[in-house]
Amino acid sequence: MTGSAAKGAADTEGQEEPVADLVPAEKRLVRRAGWLLSISDLLWIGQAALLSLVISEFVAGRPQAGLLTLVAPAAVGFIALAGVRQWLGLRAASAARSAARAVKTRVRTTLLNAIAHSSPAASLPSSGHVAAMLGEQVDALGPYLGNFYPQQFRLKIVPLGILAATLCVSWLAAVILMVAGPVIPLFMALIGIRAKAASQGQQEELTRMSGFLLDRVRGLETLRLFGALGRTEAEIGRVGEAFRTGTMRVLKIAFLSSTVLELFSALGIAFVAVYVGFSLLGSVTAGTWGAPLTFGGGFFVLLLAPEFFAPLRAYAAAYHDRAAGLAAKEKLQELYSGIVAQGLQSGPPEGSAKADEKPSAPAPRQTHAPEIKLDHVSVTFGGKSIIRDFSLEIPSGETAILTGPSGAGKTTLLDCLLGLHRPDSGRIFIDGKDLLTLDLGRWRQEICWIGQHPRLFHGSLRANLLRADPDASTEDMMLAVRLAGAAALVESLPRGLETIIGEDGFGLSVGEKRRIALARAALRKTAGLILADEPTAGLDDQTAIDVIAGLKKMAAGRTLILATHDPKLMSVPGTRIELDAAHLSEASA
Amino acid sequence: MSPLRRIVVWQWRHSPAAFLSGIVIALIPALAGIALLGVAGWFITAAALAGLGLFALNVFMPSALIRALAIARTAGRYGERILTHDATFRFLTNLRKRIFQGQAARIGDGTRPARSGAALNRLTSDIQALDAVYLRLIVPAVLCLVTGLLVIAWVLKLAPVAGLGIAGFVVWGAAFCGYLLKNRHVEAARRQEAAHEAMRLRSVDLVAGRRDLAVYGGLEQSAHAILKAEERLAAAGEEIEARTARFLSLHGFAGQFFLAVTLVLVSALMIRGNLAPVWGVTLILVATALPEVLGALVPGLANLQRTRLAARRAADGAHESDNAGGAEVASIDRKTVTDPVLSFRSVTFAYPGAETPVLSDFSFDIAKGETLALTGRSGCGKSTVSAIASRLLNPQGGSVTLCGQDLQTIPEEELRSTITVLGQKPYLFNDTVAANLRIAMPAATDDELWAALDMAALGARIRGSESGLETVLGEGGLGLSGGEQRRLGLARAYLTRPVLFILDEMTEGLDEKTAKDVLDRFEEFRGDASVLMIAHKRMEIDRADRVLGLRDAEKSLAAE
Repeated sequence: MTGSAAKGAADTEGQEEPVADLVPAEKRLVRRAGWLLSISDLLWIGQAALLSLVISEFVAGRPQAGLLTLVAPAAVGFIALAGVRQWLGLRAASAARSAARAVKTRVRTTLLNAIAHSSPAASLPSSGHVAAMLGEQVDALGPYLGNFYPQQFRLKIVPLGILAATLCVSWLAAVILMVAGPVIPLFMALIGIRAKAASQGQQEELTRMSGFLLDRVRGLETLRLFGALGRTEAEIGRVGEAFRTGTMRVLKIAFLSSTVLELFSALGIAFVAVYVGFSLLGSVTAGTWGAPLTFGGGFFVLLLAPEFFAPLRAYAAAYHDRAAGLAAKEKLQELYSGIVAQGLQSGPPEGSAKADEKPSAPAPRQTHAPEIKLDHVSVTFGGKSIIRDFSLEIPSGETAILTGPSGAGKTTLLDCLLGLHRPDSGRIFIDGKDLLTLDLGRWRQEICWIGQHPRLFHGSLRANLLRADPDASTEDMMLAVRLAGAAALVESLPRGLETIIGEDGFGLSVGEKRRIALARAALRKTAGLILADEPTAGLDDQTAIDVIAGLKKMAAGRTLILATHDPKLMSVPGTRIELDAAHLSEASA
Repeated sequence: MSPLRRIVVWQWRHSPAAFLSGIVIALIPALAGIALLGVAGWFITAAALAGLGLFALNVFMPSALIRALAIARTAGRYGERILTHDATFRFLTNLRKRIFQGQAARIGDGTRPARSGAALNRLTSDIQALDAVYLRLIVPAVLCLVTGLLVIAWVLKLAPVAGLGIAGFVVWGAAFCGYLLKNRHVEAARRQEAAHEAMRLRSVDLVAGRRDLAVYGGLEQSAHAILKAEERLAAAGEEIEARTARFLSLHGFAGQFFLAVTLVLVSALMIRGNLAPVWGVTLILVATALPEVLGALVPGLANLQRTRLAARRAADGAHESDNAGGAEVASIDRKTVTDPVLSFRSVTFAYPGAETPVLSDFSFDIAKGETLALTGRSGCGKSTVSAIASRLLNPQGGSVTLCGQDLQTIPEEELRSTITVLGQKPYLFNDTVAANLRIAMPAATDDELWAALDMAALGARIRGSESGLETVLGEGGLGLSGGEQRRLGLARAYLTRPVLFILDEMTEGLDEKTAKDVLDRFEEFRGDASVLMIAHKRMEIDRADRVLGLRDAEKSLAAE
């Protein structure tokens, strides 16, 4: 079992550090949990001895044995041992929990750091996938480390201990256990291999079926509009029924493997009982070390037998955790390697900003419109030359309008100014200072940026706006909202600025999002540079006119770079720069 | 009735026979397990006494019984698992259907809430969690009850005083369960779920919104916020797991404590000669086996709060009665389509919680074959008009008639075949192209589907794909561009023959050329059907026979 686990770890060797492996401190905790659990189990030997001691007195026909001299002390001793065992069990559980918690937190921190330090323009797997990884998949590591590992440890110690205790009384009983015990893993493995393949398939089937139901519920409106509700209902029933049949097929195999386990453990106990019985009758005389088996010895052996099999059963029950944990480990490693392969930004992108600091507010100073200069900039992206040898100078407070067909590199150019892409050659100067030497985190705080697909975050509208300026007052916000032509929109929301928007919140249309994003940008009063990427796309004429008016107002006293192909925006005064795909990247075309 | 009890009742009603037989079969291994240890104890004691010549023993009967019980326990356990799981999965399949029905009923009830993806996601995992109701709660609970009572009855008959120890354990177990059933631990489960949800939402935001975060709010701060949620998640999880561990060890200790009590009582009886040693030993071994049976309920109880939350949401989301949706009869006669096709009379509508109504005293008519364009700035209620006309929303005042009939009285099937809605973004199912098209016309032949695709200028694209009509769309399947998705929506609409088309910003987000193409193709197949067009593009408005401006009540505050 450990062999394949080690192999799983070895597969990922040679890349970067494995994300989901135990560090020594956690390993110690897990091992400690295993030891405590094992000791707690082995104390049953003492309890069983006490029980047999008392009972054998009666069976041996010595009822004169005192209630107070023998039974009561034995009962007290038995209870005391029980107390110690439960206490050890609690300590073991607590150690295992700490280890699991530490691993989960560490894995999440590692992954989040990698995400936070990869370029915001890098392509990552879908957000839903990453969220599931950080959530459920990391959670799956918990039972694997906190339950399976200690159980595996226990399996190595406890049966041997019980066997040794049994051996002291009767070697034949020990042989019965020894035969029944190891046979179990063999049979379970035979059945388990088939079950594993089948259950993996079934797990995927479950995901598919849940997805099917979810998809149909999401598309309910469409189904209703086409009068297809009844038909879909029948289909859901059919898919569910097929899934049930498949699940039962898998479970039958899985149950068979646990049935084998139980059959052998029950037979093992039964054979020990029968052997003890016939020994006591005198029909069997072999099996002991000289003296014939006493009742006390026989009873003791019978009490120990179930405990010999108990760790095996617990291990089998925890085996499922192992499969889930190993699969999760593999997926997490894959995700981590994928993120790291994109290249982490050297040094923290937020400069000196500490994680616990409040989002660094722009320094409280006068708006300063920077002068922007691009000096022979070339950018290659994904092996394609996007921008070639491009130079541009925008004096402080001026407006540049970048036009040109899509794919001409407008967005890439803005990304470069944000520091999301690094030019392959050429340099970008802000007020004469090379962009590469600036603290990018701080630089981005000094920009009003309106992206092409602005994203609003889960939380209230107010919280979203506060991201631009943590110190903004409600009045500031309403001013910015009005500037963005979104006043009517905010008033129509169920709870105004307090309405929860974003993921899992009130659904806003594309145009509505864009206007809120504009308001967010407008709230950054001290920022001297505006970068706007297609700010009117997807807006109706009237709203677009409002937005343009707002943008013009914002541009006063600021440097503005506008990427667009909307003719309405041409009314904004400024230098027009035609980005021609052919001109910029003729070589690649 | 509590949601959990509702789920139990639903499962009972779904199939009482399966419900009962699972429990009855489950009794076999439980009782066989106890009997196995009891008989073994009796046998070795009797053997010991017989060995001393104190007892006459027929050795073959008990040793055969021991083996038989061992097999009965194993086989019974297998049978029980198969039966109870099958019964549960049958019920869950049924529950999925009911939840779909429940959700479907909800979109027509006039509220149309902003449905959240997270709530839906949770719903499917809730259904999975509900297998615990029967498997981990009902079956073990009945087992505990029946086994406990049988053992107590047997012990009372054998030696009433010794029964006190075992009875004490059973009573203690019942009190313990009662304590666990109390509602006081629901808080941690709720906190855990909220933290999990917060972590998910923030992770999605971090990954999908990295550009925005880089400028507004900072990536590290966001990563830090996720770790804050993870901290709360871990703390709540720790609390729940620690409590479960305490329950388990408390239960384990109680089992051993009462075993010691039984030992003392049995010893006292044996000293007085009131109990034969054979039965004394049997009693003690039965007492060692009992905690395992009663312990089967502990995991279910420890997870009770999670199950309760799941039951509440699933019961709320599901349809009350098992088989909803009776047959509906069609009634509008197509031949006699009367003027006006659609008529709004003094319609008033306000969204729940909104201060001002979106529509008030709003009236218009659409004549046969007419194209009416409805214009106005976004947020003025154009889409509300479309939703009311297609009966996805019900107006609070006024009346809407379709072909002279009150919209409210038209049977669903009939209404859907009379109106076709082409929206901003057609919902495409994560299914084959054919399945997506047949939503509009289940009986359509492949030829008809190809004709529809050709009509929408998608035929070549789909033919180019290896599996043709069987190509799967969506995640992991064929990715269609925005324009292609819109055209697939057109193909779907082409398969219907409605009296009225409602176009709800059909060309939104398409570039001019694609938009013109989509509109041209629509014009080609719409025939003499009337059209209600929600529009803001010049190009769309120009095609209308008549334009109706929807006055926005609010003043434009933006320019000033």
